[in-house]
Amino acid sequence: MAVEIALSQARVRYGPLEALHGVDLGIPAGRRTMLLGRNGAGRSTVLHALAGTEPLSGGQVLWYGGEADARDITGLGAYRRARLGLTLVPAERAVFPSLSVADHLSWLDDAARDAALDLFPELRRLLGRSAGTLSGGEQQMVALAAALAGPSRLLLLDELGRGLAAPVVARVHGALAAAVAAGRTVVLAEQVLPSGPAAPDLVYVLHRGSVVFAGEPGELEGTGISAG
Amino acid sequence: MATPLALDLAVAGIAVGSAAALSGIGLVVCYRATGVLNLAQGAVAMVTAYALRETVVVWHWPRPLAIACCLLLFAPGLGVLMDVAVFRRLQRRNAGTAETLVAGLGVFVLLVGGAALLWGLTPLGDAPVLVPATPLVAPGGLRVTLDTVVELGTVLVLAAGVGAVNRWTRFGTTLRAVVDNRRLAELAGLDADEVSSVGWAFGAFTAGLTGVLLAPGLRLDPYGLPLLVMETMAVAVAAGLRSLPLTVVVALALGVAQSELTALHPAGGNQALLQAVSANLFVLALVAAALLPGRLASAATTQTMPLPGDRPHSALVRRVLLTACAVMLLGPLALRGVDLRSLLPGPALALVLLSLVVVTGYGGQISLGQAGYAGLGALLTGALAGGAVPGVPPLPAPLALPLAVLVAAPFGLLVGWPAIRRRGLTLALTTFAVGTAMSRLVFQQPVLTSGLRLDRTGAWGNDRVFYAVELVLLGVALLLVRALHEGRIGRALGAMRDHEPAAYASGVDVPRLKLLAFTAGAAFAALGGGLLGLGAQAFDPNAFDPILGLLWFAAVVVFGAGSASGAVLAAVALTTLDAATTAGVSAAAIGVLALLRGRFTSPTATRGQPQTRPQPQSQPQPLPERPAEAAEVRLSPLGRRLASQRHGSSR
Amino acid sequence: MSPRGARGAQLSAHGLVRRFGGVIALDGVSLEVPPGRITALTGPNGAGKSTLFRCLSGAERPDAGQVLLDGRDITRLPEHTRARLGLARTFQQIAVFPGLSVADNLRVGAEQAGRRPSKEADAPVARTLRLLGLDQLADLPAADLPTGTLRLVELGRALAADPGVLLLDEPAAGLDRDETERLVLLLTALAGDGLAVLLVEHDRELVDRIADSVHTMAAGRLTDGEGSRAHGR
Repeated sequence: MAVEIALSQARVRYGPLEALHGVDLGIPAGRRTMLLGRNGAGRSTVLHALAGTEPLSGGQVLWYGGEADARDITGLGAYRRARLGLTLVPAERAVFPSLSVADHLSWLDDAARDAALDLFPELRRLLGRSAGTLSGGEQQMVALAAALAGPSRLLLLDELGRGLAAPVVARVHGALAAAVAAGRTVVLAEQVLPSGPAAPDLVYVLHRGSVVFAGEPGELEGTGISAG
Repeated sequence: MATPLALDLAVAGIAVGSAAALSGIGLVVCYRATGVLNLAQGAVAMVTAYALRETVVVWHWPRPLAIACCLLLFAPGLGVLMDVAVFRRLQRRNAGTAETLVAGLGVFVLLVGGAALLWGLTPLGDAPVLVPATPLVAPGGLRVTLDTVVELGTVLVLAAGVGAVNRWTRFGTTLRAVVDNRRLAELAGLDADEVSSVGWAFGAFTAGLTGVLLAPGLRLDPYGLPLLVMETMAVAVAAGLRSLPLTVVVALALGVAQSELTALHPAGGNQALLQAVSANLFVLALVAAALLPGRLASAATTQTMPLPGDRPHSALVRRVLLTACAVMLLGPLALRGVDLRSLLPGPALALVLLSLVVVTGYGGQISLGQAGYAGLGALLTGALAGGAVPGVPPLPAPLALPLAVLVAAPFGLLVGWPAIRRRGLTLALTTFAVGTAMSRLVFQQPVLTSGLRLDRTGAWGNDRVFYAVELVLLGVALLLVRALHEGRIGRALGAMRDHEPAAYASGVDVPRLKLLAFTAGAAFAALGGGLLGLGAQAFDPNAFDPILGLLWFAAVVVFGAGSASGAVLAAVALTTLDAATTAGVSAAAIGVLALLRGRFTSPTATRGQPQTRPQPQSQPQPLPERPAEAAEVRLSPLGRRLASQRHGSSR
Repeated sequence: MSPRGARGAQLSAHGLVRRFGGVIALDGVSLEVPPGRITALTGPNGAGKSTLFRCLSGAERPDAGQVLLDGRDITRLPEHTRARLGLARTFQQIAVFPGLSVADNLRVGAEQAGRRPSKEADAPVARTLRLLGLDQLADLPAADLPTGTLRLVELGRALAADPGVLLLDEPAAGLDRDETERLVLLLTALAGDGLAVLLVEHDRELVDRIADSVHTMAAGRLTDGEGSRAHGR
């Protein structure tokens, strides 16, 4: 199975605290992967380590991007990784408060912008508003719209449902399914494992900065490892 | 003359205000784009002014070409160079405020030293005029000159232009994104470094423009112009380092107010005070802006980290350093009289720098104003010895000196008190502003500096004896500082420096300790200053210039603020270099070292620097082991495949 | 397990209220932290746990309500004074003094919060170093040590003052599995010696294992009564 991106013995330190204690994980290309774990388990840190916004204190980040050979991108800055085709939507502060909604979509081409607005028609009437004045849910829609409609082949989404109503979350999961079907890779970080169409292909469970389970969602049952 | 005087004065004030506004715009734009307050703004202004003079007066370039080259190539290029060579590296590893500050001071000191080396310290009166002061006919008979109109126009065009770019261009969108949230901007694929470079280039351009506009009005020398431009930081700080319109308004208002105050003529001794105030309105504004709460809200929240490299040296290094100090200090006693005289300031300067070790190295409080306390010590010693203090008879110098120290020490509360709630950049600005205010409002006021007596009589008249006295006093101070450092108070200071909230939580009375540190610092600086004055046998305000205060701070940090030997080494190095070489060498050397320091010292892991973690196995197991009941890592077939495919036998 | 002669103290909060602008972070919270027991405070992000913790430690003042230490009103006392009365705390982001040696970190606690002259601080420092197994590291600078060891240094700084109450803000943050196990043993032993321990912790599993009583916070209030449970000790 082709791998999109991987962490090898990754360690991340915030000042004196080590948040990841040597994590190994591979993200399969063209699949939906989910990182599970409770607060402080290291989910968000894994995403930031992949995206380059948290430097590693040890280990490597390997980028495959659909190729057979890995490229060591450990030292590559976040914006260069973004240009490789990787997008992270963080769980908090995911929009630029002083930029308008239209500004957020201005980095997309015309077709992508239309696609973004088709996915979230709610945003059409908010185009001129600055993002800082939007509700939390609306902000999340702006961030997701820009990420989903963008050209990235790898999407890293941290708690994507935050602030969104259930029907909107379902719509997002539909769009993610379409993205995966089109060959894109999706990584979600959540506290609990969703069921039904939103269920992932592969699950990693993190506990206290280490991977304690890796496998298919069905295998998680009966292991005694809980995420929530 | 149909117009009232007030209106004419206002027009005159606008010229000064415009220059301040230009500098302020550059500071604000650069700060917003990079998060760094460019302390070297004044030095860039000075160097650009020198460059323009060099090209026009010495090389005889055509004026438009010279202006274009200096303002559009030289100054912005300098800004980009500062970014690429110094600040980008710091930003990338999230360096703390203190480190960024030292780097900025390094650039400042290097540029000042370089200028002194290249062009000497003699003030030059022939800086080329950019726009002639051609009188224009204005409605109502107002006296307006072309240069004022052009300067004000430039300010308005630049402010409006920045606003327009910000709002309506693609680059503006990127800029606002980076200002909002640098990390998120990088995630969106925006090159934040590029934005920083543009910020630095623009900031340096406005600095250069300010410099060439101000230079013809004063005599160009390496110290005066930088300090003048640094005072204009007041308008940027007053505008919270955010708002351009507010920056322009404050700058123009201060310029006009300064001009209008000259028209007031109150009776009696208030005249001198008023003159001092009006001549130094920007300094007072800087003090006020730094002291007003909330002006620098965003900057004030940044936690100051102790300067890396401030940890105690190893035993061997310590021994070598101490030996070097002893040799350098005792050596001069064997020298000829002339040579000894040029090295007289060594131990005195060491005492001043020792005050920085106590305040900054031990206590973690940034202080850029120690030159003020040194000057105060010299001034008070002279006043007490000269009988200039009403009700006190003239005292012999050996009595006047300790008394001056006692009187000067409580003035440490001037910055100690604000320091209780301030840290990092805000504290640096506050201490600098207070030091500058002391220099301008006290040391440079003839009323206050007349009747001073600093000549040495009796045994102290002999240079060799006086040098020995200096050494003894330095020795006593070193013993005191050592006792302070190694005792209970020293540990409490270290706790406050390393982690203020945890110091509170450990029962350290942080406010009292800060007051103590600044008071002790003021006392040591005053003692050193008094000896400097007695050594030179005269009170020279320039010996305690605020710019020197910046140089001293950088020097102590370079030689190690964490140990007393660092202060002694720095003092000896500065004095010897000044005595043995031409002006500027010492400053340039300190600047180079300050910049190299930022490049080579690697902060410790606790300061967020990526670092390989020591293997836990190599550490003693601190607590009894409990049998591992933790679940083994469970891998599914798919998981195993993924793990083994990529990482061999790591699982 | 340890020869420490810790005297426990009773920390109580009555009707604490704290507002930030229009937002009420604490809405009349009352809490007892009795000696000899581990009391845990849990709840989602933004529930007000940190604000409560800071009001107890003295880093913040409540707008209304009282904080009592062994019946004495300490609501208006600053944090360093509370520390000298025997209220010790740790930080979520481990707070040590990297410029000081491990032993001097503990010594600051013993001298300042413990109000001892330098000479009398030797004994509690040595005792605490032994208790935490830090003897061999005593003279190393408290920087560059592994997270678990730094956490112990911080705890040592708090314990060297012989506190009556120990406030811990997510003490297991950043620790791996083994380090967490050792922390659990240590905290249980300390409470067994009579110390009053308050633990703010996300990890419900950890809380359930070691706490004698668990309080859950939501939206600035304690949502449950005392969920007391028997704890095998």
